[in-house]
Amino acid sequence: MSYREKENIINIFSGLFITGIFAWSIYQRHLDGRIDLTDDFQLWGKLFLIYAAVTIVARIVIYIVFSIINAIITREEKIPKEDERDKLIKLKAIRNSHYSFSAGFFIAIILLAIGLPSYSIFIVFVISGVVSELIDNGSQMYYYRKGV
Amino acid sequence: MPNRTIQNNIRRLRFNADEMTQQDLADRTGVTRQTIVAIEKGNYSPSLELAFKIALTFNKPLEEVFTYEQEDQNLK
Repeated sequence: MSYREKENIINIFSGLFITGIFAWSIYQRHLDGRIDLTDDFQLWGKLFLIYAAVTIVARIVIYIVFSIINAIITREEKIPKEDERDKLIKLKAIRNSHYSFSAGFFIAIILLAIGLPSYSIFIVFVISGVVSELIDNGSQMYYYRKGV
Repeated sequence: MPNRTIQNNIRRLRFNADEMTQQDLADRTGVTRQTIVAIEKGNYSPSLELAFKIALTFNKPLEEVFTYEQEDQNLK
């Protein structure tokens, strides 16, 4: 398995892990009554910003740990540089992930239109963000395996 | 227009060049070994620039390294 494929697998699991833990902790606070997610849009805005910061920091830590473990196992210290095939694969994967996130946005608008509560769009945003990330990394793995 | 695919003779050319390894070719052309593997297998069509770099590495004209051939109907 190439370095890029391993990187994609790490991205998939770290994305699910970070989002899962964060969403679970926020939901517990909501259940405890410490925060109210049903009517406070400002809170949703703050939560998204905190989530972005947490994700960036966690990703950096996970990536460093992955690079160290990979270097120990494979005895290759250098991270392979990105060549034209990597860039093409990344571009196609980003295109696929944009399609899925756009679909999520569209679904959120439909939910609003049929009368679901406003906070449901934020939940759909989170889900479509995770799904689009899965599609991004899954597409990359597919193109690395099957060709591009 | 009949379906055509890009074929290559890189494996044979590497063999003729003192069994040049895929890593050697990758280093000389500035790509990763995985890209050379994908090109050899026909899973990736390189850019024109990379195709020229590969041909230059073997000191061969481009058409001797890459050919644009009609798909074999029997393989379908």
